[in-house]
Formats: sequence, C-alpha cells, structure tokens
Amino acid sequence: MTDDLDEIGKLTKVKLKNLDKCFYPDVGVTKAHVIEYYVTLAPKILPVVKDRPLVLTRYPDGIKDSQLGKTSFFEKNAPEGTPAWVKLYPIYSHTSKRDVNYIICNDLDTLIWLANLAALEIHMPFSTIHGINKPDLLFFDVDPEPPATLNDAAEVALQLKDKLLSLGLTPFIKTSGKKGLHVVIPIDPEHSFEATRAFVHQIGIELAKNNDLIVSEFKDTKKPGKVFTDYLQNSPMRTMVIPYSLRPTPEATVSTPLDWSEVQKGLNPTDYTLFSVSKRTSYPWKEIFSKRCKLEI
Amino acid sequence: MGQQEENLEQDQDKTSAAAPSRSIWSGSITIGLVNVPVKLFSMIYDKGVSFHFLHKPDGQPLKYVKMCTKDDKIVPWNEVVRGYEVAKNEYITFEKAELDAVRPESDKRIRISKFVDYFSVDPIYFDRTYALLPDKSKDAYTLLLNALQKTNKAGACRITLRTKEYPALLHPYKGALVLTTLRYAYDVVDPRDFEKLGKLEIPQKAELDLAVKIVKDLSGEFDITEFKDSYMEKVQELVKQKAKGEKITVTQAPEVEVKGLMVALRETLKQLEKK
Repeated sequence: MTDDLDEIGKLTKVKLKNLDKCFYPDVGVTKAHVIEYYVTLAPKILPVVKDRPLVLTRYPDGIKDSQLGKTSFFEKNAPEGTPAWVKLYPIYSHTSKRDVNYIICNDLDTLIWLANLAALEIHMPFSTIHGINKPDLLFFDVDPEPPATLNDAAEVALQLKDKLLSLGLTPFIKTSGKKGLHVVIPIDPEHSFEATRAFVHQIGIELAKNNDLIVSEFKDTKKPGKVFTDYLQNSPMRTMVIPYSLRPTPEATVSTPLDWSEVQKGLNPTDYTLFSVSKRTSYPWKEIFSKRCKLEI
Repeated sequence: MGQQEENLEQDQDKTSAAAPSRSIWSGSITIGLVNVPVKLFSMIYDKGVSFHFLHKPDGQPLKYVKMCTKDDKIVPWNEVVRGYEVAKNEYITFEKAELDAVRPESDKRIRISKFVDYFSVDPIYFDRTYALLPDKSKDAYTLLLNALQKTNKAGACRITLRTKEYPALLHPYKGALVLTTLRYAYDVVDPRDFEKLGKLEIPQKAELDLAVKIVKDLSGEFDITEFKDSYMEKVQELVKQKAKGEKITVTQAPEVEVKGLMVALRETLKQLEKK
C-alpha cells in the first residue's frame, strides 16, 4: 500500500490527505474512491470546465444526515492554503465589496486538488474568463415537481430537443444527478446574458403553450406534477453542476451526459452513479465545442 | 519511565495523581504588611497517553532540529532571532536581550489585592492550579487558610512564574491553600461575538417548564471518578501485554485501498498526454 502511495506521490503534486475517510457511508465510498473517480473522468471533464471560474460545494465529512447540522459549505473564493500553482481568476463582488478569487481548473492536478478538498460537487458558469458577460452556453434546467418524475422531464426534454433542432441549434443533455435534466446548447459568445435568458424563456413559453405538463414561469414551479423549464440560471456567475459532478445523494449519483437515444421512458437517476459512470465508455458531449452555433436573436 | 509506571500503577486503586516532591517556586503571600512564606508545587498532570517517536530500523529516539525553509539546512541556535509577524511573511526581529529588558521582574511575592467570592470568578478564566504549602512556619499559613474557609472567600492576586505575570486566585481546596492562575480577558472570546449565535428567542412557558422538569429529574452530585479515560486504559493493557512479550493482534486493518487510484492516475495521465 505504501508503494502505491509513493507512486501516487510521483504522479501528482497534490498532497493527498485522509484517503480512508468515508464519504458515502451507504455505498462504502471513501475519499480515495472519490479522487479515483474524478481522475478517471478527468479527460471528459477538463475540456468542458476549461477557463471557467468554478464554485465548489465541499463536504469535509462526506454525506451525512443533514439533521445532524450543516455538513457542507459553498465556496467561491479560493481557500487559504491554495497552492501557488492553482490558477485563479478574480471577479469583483459588489455584495462583499472585494475581489473573489475563483478557481480555474485546466489541468488534472487542480481537479485532484479539488477532490482532495472534498469538493464533491463542482459548479460552472455559462461563460468563460475570455468574456465573463458573454455566455457561450444556453442552459435549460428541466425540473419536474413531484409527482412528476424524471420520465416526465425526459418527455419535456425530447420536445425541447425537437424545438431547438428546428431552430438550427445543437442541444446536449445530462441528468442533474437528482430528479431533473439539464439541456445545454453551445453558442458563439456574442450576446449578453439578458439576451440569452430572454431567448431561453421564450422557448419555455412556446413549449408550455402546447403541453399542459410544462410551466415556463418561476411562480408556477411549485405546482405539483408540472415540469418547469428554468431559464433563470442564464445570468452572470449563475451556475450548473459540471458534467460528471458527483451529487450528495446516498447512492453517490452523478450528473451524467447522455446520448439523446438514452433519453426515454424508464430513465432512473440512481442508474448513474460513481460506480456505473466510471465504467461508461461513451462520451456524449465529446463534440460540444465543435458544434457551436451562431444564435440569431 | 519508572516514575510514570509508578503513577499509573497507583491510579488503579487511587483516583488522584501522585504528589510531586520538589517545589517549583518559593516566596511569600503578601496582604498589606503581612507575609506568609510558601512553596509552590505542581498539582496538575496532563497525563493521557503519550508516546515517543523512535527510528523504526534501530529503535533510537528522534530529535527535532530547526531547519531553514529556504535551503533545508540545519540552523544553529546562535543564528536564531525571534520574528514578530506584522503582515503575512513580514517580520520585525528581536534579540533575546531586547525582550528580556521588558519582561516582568521575577518577584518572589504573591500579592493579594482583595478578597472575592470564589464562585464569582467564572471557571472559563481558570488556567492551571498549583498547591501552596507552608515554608518554615505553619502558623500564618493555617490562619489564612481558616479565615478563607470561614468566609468562603478567595484572594485575587498576581504572581510571576518564570517570566510571565499571571492574574491568579488563591483559595482553599481540601484542607490546603491552592493557587489557580487565570487567563487574561484578551485570551477569552465573548460568545455573543459569534455571529452564528444570533438573537435567541425566549421559549414558550410550557416548553420551558418541561425542559426544566427534565433537568431537575436528571440532577445529581458531580463525581469526576464517573469519567474514565478508556483509551488510556486500553493502551495500558496493551503495554502490559507487550512488556510480557505477548503478540498483539490488530483487530481492524486501517489500510486504505489506493491501488485503484494509482492505476486511474496512470491511465488518465497517459490519455491526457495523447492529446
């Protein structure tokens, strides 16, 4: 075992700590497993998060019963002790009246370092540091309100896909890792967030006209059995979980990119976990940035 | 080790620690013009369980060395100065003589300024307790002890130990005078300064009555011997077995499985290189 640790020490500059700590008690996943998972998925994660300021949710003691008190925290600003080799990007925060140093994860070591910080969940904005106010992604959060399920979300997502294809756009889809689906469209970064948000909202309104299941307005999100196409995240430094991010669920579910052919009845979020996803060979988002479209608004 | 073992043995039938034979300070208690000569003895052990670090191949004890963080060279004492950090990585340096000049004079007196109610001092300020024993004559000592017992008071005083001056409380404890050094106010946080505490609502009367009832039902006398250090007991048991040459079987293997991580790292690095 010590030989393996020595070998690991040669392969990464991150000083790994508390590797035997249990992070997902129900499924026996330790911190070592979590780091191994992120290392395995790194070739699929790194191209998507490249040059995006990240937001973390850290679970220093793993997933626990939240009744025991707060077990996780959000982190935007790079924590004290951040190694000098981690790339940071300052954005002025008007609420806290200072620069917040966001973490940029463009290499494997930074991703390992994030996993070592127990950042089980990683979130990314819809723009890059090359134009933080010019989104290069459109985002639809397809969010079913119980008793509506992931199956209902899938039905809505398929209608959304047809609509987007008819407009000459190329949508990509992933599970949220919880109950919903995320649909993302790569675009040329030339519009403002106001413009992309209005565009996404408009599509939701049009879908809602033809399908009673769908609601397009925030005030209706809590109507039972409806599916909300959330457009509000299309704003500066609002985020979604990155593709292949772990979620804080007992089963260690993953926000998993899917082929559109996989989006059908019987979709179950717990089918996509740390265990199953690290064995998946397909890479449905492989061409996401070579399929950028010019958005005509 | 011999001393330690004896102490541990005694602990088995007696719950308190062994009394030391050598004093650490001598001087006198002064109240106005009255002097009470005393000696000060340690009476607190931080026993717990402690281990020495040894070099595994040859079993020799390890020592600590001061190393320069820039070139990893061992630094001799005559090249060490004290640095006060004024900003991150910015220091103002002092020679030992400069600091010695402003140190409080080692004064051989415990100066009592007034007598206070012992329970009016919050235990949060209590730092460390020492036994005070009479030096030469016992008369003045006995008189002070009895007066404090009768009035239920404690002497608020100052003492200089080594080179630091402490506020302290002089009070009777099990038929002797003891001195408890106190923390300065600047070392203690006011819990109201925790933002997380926020404003607390006053509970409903019915709820409060119930809570008070539970507290009353569970009330009793405090007995320190009800608390056992089970880790120390287990380690002592292991030490005994090992000393007899018995082989200890480790029941839990705290091995981390990192083989998968190592393989994944190799594989991913190979993949990333290809691009």
